Amino acid sequence: MKLLQQTLLLLRKDLLLEMRRHESLMTMFFFGALLLFVFNFSFELTPARVSELAPGLLWLAFLFTGTLGLTQLFEGERGNHCLDALLMSPIDRGALFLAKTCFNIVLMGLVELVVMPLFWILFSLPSWQPLPALFLIVFLGNVGFCVLGTILAAVTLKARAREILLPLVLFPLMVPVILSTIRCMEALLRSGELGDALPWLRLLIGFDVIFLTVGILIFDWVVDV
Amino acid sequence: MPQVTGKKRKGILGAATLVFIIAGLYWGLVKAPPDAYQGDSQRIMYLHIPSILTAYLSFFLVFVGSCLYLWKREKRDDNLAHAAAEIGVLFTALTIIEGSIWGRPTWGVWWTWDARLTLTAILLLIFIGYLMLRALVEDESRAASSAAILGIIGFLDIPLIHMSVYWWRTLHQPPSILRPDKVPWENIHPELLTALAINFVAFVLLYFYLLSHRLRLSEMREEIKARRMN
Amino acid sequence: MRVTVHQLAKAYGYFWALRDLEIQVGGGERVALLGPNGAGKTTLLKLLAGLIYPTSGEIRLDGAPLTRQANAQRAAIGLLSPGEHLYDDLTARENLEFFTALYDRQRGPIRIDNAIEETLEAVGLGRWAGEYAGALSSGMKCRLSVAKWKLLSPKLLLLDEPYGVLDGGGVDLLESFLKAQSEQGSVVIIASHHVARVLDLCTRAMILEQGKLIFDETRREPWDSFARAFEAFMPGGKR
Repeated sequence: MKLLQQTLLLLRKDLLLEMRRHESLMTMFFFGALLLFVFNFSFELTPARVSELAPGLLWLAFLFTGTLGLTQLFEGERGNHCLDALLMSPIDRGALFLAKTCFNIVLMGLVELVVMPLFWILFSLPSWQPLPALFLIVFLGNVGFCVLGTILAAVTLKARAREILLPLVLFPLMVPVILSTIRCMEALLRSGELGDALPWLRLLIGFDVIFLTVGILIFDWVVDV
Repeated sequence: MPQVTGKKRKGILGAATLVFIIAGLYWGLVKAPPDAYQGDSQRIMYLHIPSILTAYLSFFLVFVGSCLYLWKREKRDDNLAHAAAEIGVLFTALTIIEGSIWGRPTWGVWWTWDARLTLTAILLLIFIGYLMLRALVEDESRAASSAAILGIIGFLDIPLIHMSVYWWRTLHQPPSILRPDKVPWENIHPELLTALAINFVAFVLLYFYLLSHRLRLSEMREEIKARRMN
Repeated sequence: MRVTVHQLAKAYGYFWALRDLEIQVGGGERVALLGPNGAGKTTLLKLLAGLIYPTSGEIRLDGAPLTRQANAQRAAIGLLSPGEHLYDDLTARENLEFFTALYDRQRGPIRIDNAIEETLEAVGLGRWAGEYAGALSSGMKCRLSVAKWKLLSPKLLLLDEPYGVLDGGGVDLLESFLKAQSEQGSVVIIASHHVARVLDLCTRAMILEQGKLIFDETRREPWDSFARAFEAFMPGGKR
């Protein structure tokens, strides 16, 4: 499919550039690890409490590192007006949207793959068993975050104070994702399975699907004047 | 969207608003009986419920204006979205204050994270974000398109936010919820309903009255701009 | 390719960058777009490239209006702006590979690879094919842009001040490329301050001043009478 081909082409280019420049990934990773450190001093994370607080703390860390990634999302295109080059080309804007979204999902995913086990080690959580399922839930949360985040990052590209404007407009809209992922993570940590939290999972997937579709359709208007 | 910017029509709208507001105050404060459990403090509901409904109406108008603007690129639609958002912020803030006032005698606290108040707070944040986006984007037409995108996304997100917040606050029940106020409408005293209805109409009229003035302001700005350019 | 501009106007806030433009250009023409700084040359080029949109009026390419959703039309448009639209952290070769794929110029992986290598040789960048574009000098970068558009072969080719960074060899390269393109029926429009050079190359001259088109003539032989008519219009008498 044309859209998929173009998306992959753009994604490959972004990943290649990231591998050479290491701009986003390193800053995101260090910021995430730093936050874990700060948590240790801000909260009394006894073994009893840490399982309870883990989902919330982790999501806090991921929200901030993810936002960091978003603000840098189009940085690669700023040099030499490359975004103009992409917009002048015959590619579908939806492909640009998908590529940037996937790029941020990959970056966040890589950071989480390190930060989550790190959290487990630093705070001595009892069992490693729920981790794979937790990754899956966090991944679904990433999708929702990156989908809306990419649209809003593009929309605020030329705004003043965009580093604060982006979280300001993004976070209230993220409430369903935050609530769903945390509820699911809590259930997994508590009992190893979703059980009661299943409706939350459905909500999360629904959110992802809806805004993925909206993003593809609407991106034409997003990057235009 | 009816063209209510003609002076005469605004006058009639203003008068109608005034009539309904007075009627609403009368019904709400005098005629309707006090609530069995909450006493007189329940009366703030006559303001609280209409104002939150008007706030949602406001966002709907932002949505409509945004869609039309992206489709047709007419300044008029963008003005509608902008005006609706500004007045929407007003009504949403009002709702929160009313909710807080009601909360104090009822629960003993000024604020609680119950579903309704939380949702209203989120709505306020979304409105504020929308207005800040407009203020901070430099080029005017880009500001309009950006705001339109946010307006559409925000509106589509609201049902999802609604669902998630209500589920969160009613932990053990399976979600069958869009209106968890579980108010058994059949058992309500007719005077209560009348008071509510009158106040609702009063609020909607007030909203459109303010909206028409705000739209006129936009029009005047456009006129000045057109003259400066020629 | 036929470019038609009708009642075109572009405003930024309170400022009219372009007003009442009426232009018709046919395939095979090479147009020199001249005028002082701030006259609106870059704005016009960006409008033609589909990067920005008119405040009023319309642009048509081969009769079809240039709209926001004009993906297919964009495949035929090229904008050469020295130093721009190339990724500094991709090599020269990778840049060309990326853009040819972007414009869907693949006609089989082997053929396009050959074409890329040949084009790099032709523009004199054979030795620098594996260098990062950011490491190239501005002249070489410009040659890379020429290579890019040679491969993409647009029917409407727009150039924004190409002469500043090129050396003698580069200029010859550029001009033979432009002549070849227009011979194939493309429309070439060059905005430049190097009046003598660009007039030599072009078949038609347009002058913009404060957003309005004040001169639009196809070159008449002999060169002298054209030059005189032209100088009369040129603001500040640049030559």
